[in-house]
Amino acid sequence: MNEAAPLPKGNMGEPVARIDARLKVTGDARYPADLPVRDVAHAVLVTSPIARGRLTQLHTEAARAVPGVLDIIAAGDVDGELERPQFGNSGSTSIAPLHDRRIWHDGQIVALVVAETFEAASEAAALVRADFQAEEPSSGFGSPGIEIIPAAGASPLYPENPEAGDFDAAWATAEISIDETYSTPTQHHNPMELFSTTASWFDGDVTVNESSQNVTGWKNTLARQLKVDPEHVRVVSPYVGGAFGSRGPMTPRTAIIAHAARRLGRPVRCVVTRKQAYTTQTYRAETRHHIRMGAMKDGRIVAFRHEGWELTSRPDNYVVGGTGTTARMYGYGAVETKVSLVKADRNTPSYMRSPPETPYVYALENAMDEMAVALAMDPVEFRRVNDTMTEPIEGKPFSSRSLMECYDQAAEAFGWNRRTRGIGSMRDGDWLVGMGCATAVYPTNVAPCTARVRLTADGRIRVQSGSHEIGTGIRTVAAQMAAERLGAPFWSVEVEMGDSSLPPAPVSGGSTSTASVCSAVMKACDAIRARLFHAAVTANDGPLSGLAPADLGIADGRIVAGARVEAVANAMERMGVGEIEEYAEFAPEGSSADAIANLYKGKLEMRMGEEGAKVKYAFGAEFVEVRIHRLTRETRVSRLVGAFAAGRIMNPRTARSQLMGGMIWGVGCALHEATEMDRHSARYVNTDLQDYLVPVNADIQDVKVILVEEKDTDVNPAGVKGLGELGNVGTPAAVASAVYHATGKRIRDLPIRIEDLL
Amino acid sequence: MRPFGFERPETLERAAGIVAAREDRAAPPPLSSAQFIAGGTNMADYMKLGVMRPNLLVDIGRLADPGLRRIAASPDGIRLGALVRMSEAEENADIRIGYPVIAESLQQAASQQIRNMASLGGNILQRTRCEYFRDISWACNKRDPGSGCAAMDGFNRQHAVLGVSDRCIATYHGDFAQALIALDASVETQSPRGGRTMAFSELHRLPGETPHVETQLMADELITLIDIPAKPWARRSHYLKIRDRQSYAFAVASVAVVLDLEDGAVRDVRIALGGLATVPWRAQEAEDELKGGPLDERTAGRAAEAAFAGAMPREHNAFKISLGRQALVRALLETRDMRV
Amino acid sequence: MTADASSVSTPWMALRDTDRPAEPATRPDTVVAVDFIVNGKPCRLELDPRTTLLDALRDHVGLTGTKKGCDHGQCGACTVIVNGRRTLSCLSFAQMNDRDEITTVEGLASDGRLHPVQQAFIDHDAFQCGYCTPGQIMSAIGCISEGHAETDADIREYMSGNICRCAAYPNIVAAIRQARDEMERA
Repeated sequence: MNEAAPLPKGNMGEPVARIDARLKVTGDARYPADLPVRDVAHAVLVTSPIARGRLTQLHTEAARAVPGVLDIIAAGDVDGELERPQFGNSGSTSIAPLHDRRIWHDGQIVALVVAETFEAASEAAALVRADFQAEEPSSGFGSPGIEIIPAAGASPLYPENPEAGDFDAAWATAEISIDETYSTPTQHHNPMELFSTTASWFDGDVTVNESSQNVTGWKNTLARQLKVDPEHVRVVSPYVGGAFGSRGPMTPRTAIIAHAARRLGRPVRCVVTRKQAYTTQTYRAETRHHIRMGAMKDGRIVAFRHEGWELTSRPDNYVVGGTGTTARMYGYGAVETKVSLVKADRNTPSYMRSPPETPYVYALENAMDEMAVALAMDPVEFRRVNDTMTEPIEGKPFSSRSLMECYDQAAEAFGWNRRTRGIGSMRDGDWLVGMGCATAVYPTNVAPCTARVRLTADGRIRVQSGSHEIGTGIRTVAAQMAAERLGAPFWSVEVEMGDSSLPPAPVSGGSTSTASVCSAVMKACDAIRARLFHAAVTANDGPLSGLAPADLGIADGRIVAGARVEAVANAMERMGVGEIEEYAEFAPEGSSADAIANLYKGKLEMRMGEEGAKVKYAFGAEFVEVRIHRLTRETRVSRLVGAFAAGRIMNPRTARSQLMGGMIWGVGCALHEATEMDRHSARYVNTDLQDYLVPVNADIQDVKVILVEEKDTDVNPAGVKGLGELGNVGTPAAVASAVYHATGKRIRDLPIRIEDLL
Repeated sequence: MRPFGFERPETLERAAGIVAAREDRAAPPPLSSAQFIAGGTNMADYMKLGVMRPNLLVDIGRLADPGLRRIAASPDGIRLGALVRMSEAEENADIRIGYPVIAESLQQAASQQIRNMASLGGNILQRTRCEYFRDISWACNKRDPGSGCAAMDGFNRQHAVLGVSDRCIATYHGDFAQALIALDASVETQSPRGGRTMAFSELHRLPGETPHVETQLMADELITLIDIPAKPWARRSHYLKIRDRQSYAFAVASVAVVLDLEDGAVRDVRIALGGLATVPWRAQEAEDELKGGPLDERTAGRAAEAAFAGAMPREHNAFKISLGRQALVRALLETRDMRV
Repeated sequence: MTADASSVSTPWMALRDTDRPAEPATRPDTVVAVDFIVNGKPCRLELDPRTTLLDALRDHVGLTGTKKGCDHGQCGACTVIVNGRRTLSCLSFAQMNDRDEITTVEGLASDGRLHPVQQAFIDHDAFQCGYCTPGQIMSAIGCISEGHAETDADIREYMSGNICRCAAYPNIVAAIRQARDEMERA
């Protein structure tokens, strides 16, 4: 019907419109801060203007005198009431802003002002004065006072540096070598919806309305902090106005607001300003890379070494750790990797869309492009030479790998053969034209998940799972899965998500949701089918009686075996039930026996793409055309083409949109996004959407997404590889490659700005 | 935000009179306890941030005087009422044809929503977007006189290289103002002491020792009209804005050019620079360099050298000198090549 | 706040209050009455004088379709139509809109029939998370009615005041193209 709804190819579902589309275009979709709460009081945060030191005194008299102020909560006021936050699992940081007076980073919460109105709370918050004993902060890379530690073992998520063979020996044999450094900046997610928490207590139970990618994890984390049983905590997040990792781990504010509501005996809402979100939420850590790559003249890579440095806070060892992926990308020969953490006076970073791949694959793919130039090879052909069906670290096969198919389809659609090789050889008037490409990759992770499905005799289906609609279309694809397995029309399915009182689902991160949720929904539906089929075949006089259940199918509300059919409603009548409900627990192959119990406790056991007998990755190829003005050197992306293979595509419409959005994220990453630091004070400077630039409509012109047919039965029962984080991985390096082609300038540090090209 | 009183007078005289009656009427306008508000796009933003802290707002958005909302073209030029919205002016046919530099500068100045709200008078008087000025937790001489300047040794990529002082390097971020400089416009103002007219190029003051004193206006003085003299050659005028992204961003560098060409030679030219200076900046040295000679990439380059002879970069904004030069060359060539 | 400062206070403004005009002897009115017509219905509110049009709509009228994405005129999520023009409700104090006619996303569909722009946004999957969508739709209506939707390049430029972090931009452009044609036919 239109470009937004591509016709399904093999192993793809229908491009149905989103199940919640109407709600979203009418304003009826309620995001957490939209949910009406009676008698709600408004809270505003007071934050620190210093990055390191100690809060010595808080002056709140003037603030308390503002009419309408109800409460001011400051350091010491939570003692005995709130447990300290913890880093890891569902918690973003161990920094406990109101438990102690130590200032760990710029913009740390020092007080909370609660008032009758938002206006009064804002006025009073501006009147709170704080005295600090300031110490000289370390802002990050290169600052005096930073601490550098090995990442391996510093976090349970990063036990060791992957390696294979003898790098030094192989490096010595290389005929052509690349030895370069790369860097990526601090970035903030900036979802459109502001961060907010609304907490209401009723009879010892607390309900928290907050956009979350992990309601079950938060429920448990919050219960621990509030010192109540998890059964008394409910986290509600019906719609999420963008997440990108920012709403994965719970930040300290959530428990503080819940505490404020308990203390006040009244619901409290806090909508955090965009500026304050830069320091009270998480961000993408700044990284540096040193890559050595050695190849033979025929293009075969024989040695690859990737060393990374990542910024984190003083108290928390957040590890990005992208060498796990870069070490497995190509058939390198010998591989050596190393990752170090650089600890500075900063808030704790966390996941942001393709957390490891965005920075690490950027460095790798830039080096690949440099090597192709050094070898005088076409960059696509260079990748073809080093393509492999066996990953080099443990020698395991890939469950499927359609990388070169992606390259070929994307190159064809892009018109790669029209590219002339010489630097600056393509021009359009005063604009230098450059073309480049790069590989996108993302591991296929999958996690334990539960779901409940109910089929009623009138043919309606309800799916419940505590996953999260963050814009991915998870409600839509879960409905499609249920409709398909139960032979019902899409419109007959309703889906409930975003509530910790539903059967638990994993964090909506790591591109796991479609695979995990659809596998659980499928399992519940199959249990319903089994009951229906059993009833149909064991009936004495039914049209399907005596058949084997395995011979039955279900379509259009009927149980079918060849020409013999029975309406589902008839079978249910025969069973004497008005509805069939099944609850299913899906645990990925290789999960521990406690995986589901742990999911309920908010402890996630994600099975990563590298685990198991085969390595499970999704791949893509991205091509970019840039235009750079010969005089003023601004870079504009005129065309983007990406081809991606991600196993079964549940819905080509939502898949295309997500990949397209990812590619555009990559444009932002390449050309615009960086959170700038005032080095002397270790404070962020450009903390709003005026100065932290993300692409606007006019930045984006021609974008083409190709969904490459791929079937992979090894990844999970649904056959789905995640793609939410695949699209943005390749773009930055492809842009850098195109910029080089246009100008001859190799920009190794993101973002690529005018000043780099003058 | 502090509580504030709100008045909505119907006449200009009354509006100015309300402010004139205040005890601090002699304060520099940005520090006055009473502030005029029209579109609100700059004032409301800065009040939320605590940068502006008036306790009285005088809403001039509905003043009855029709002249304030009129665009009047005549053989003598074009007169723009101060309450004309940016989007109205940019769509006006007389302006688009006769003064493309105005339409282009307004069109690129902000989003359509903001241009639908903002008045021309308010746009001219917009305050800097310096990050250190906008966040009240930093030291800023412009916002809080005498407190220091955190931008000076901070992250100053977007800051000015022209017209700076050791007290302030904040950039003037407007676009329309450069067009007015290039067109030799003047402004008419009204206060209880009567009306006056001044060259637009005289309106803004360099930061010097007093960066909080931004214009020649008094707190109770309102811009009423912008007067652009007739210049047949203003049809050959152009605004080039270089941004980090394609739209909805402030200039990293911008250039307004009005060019009088005769047989390929520059009979007259006026050039103003934006995004590079602390005030709307006339590049007179560049104009002088070009007058009487041919306009090509070489002569434009010489003019660009002259324009930045006095530039003073800081740690992160030195590139603005080379970018400014290149932008000036590009703008001159693009203006030369216009079909008029 | 520099390295050698052993003790600092915040905020700067508070420190320098002596340089500032004194507070008025009495606080200004704590509530003001504001009248507007919202989606065709007259509406009278008693508001804190500092309330923005955005907060008035969301917190006092109960129309939460209009979104707060930045509160500083930098994202477009709060776009509404005031007296026929698209504007940013976060940058206007509600008092300034006294007697104005305001249309929000909730006022577009009539008798269950979606506005052509709403339908086009569904058809072209012009959103993902949906948070910027009401602002995009209101802005798109303005863009079409202003005559700024003639070409794709125009649509992109005149829709650039509405940030979509999910980056549905190409789909938004396609949706506006469809709605434009449909509205021109009607």
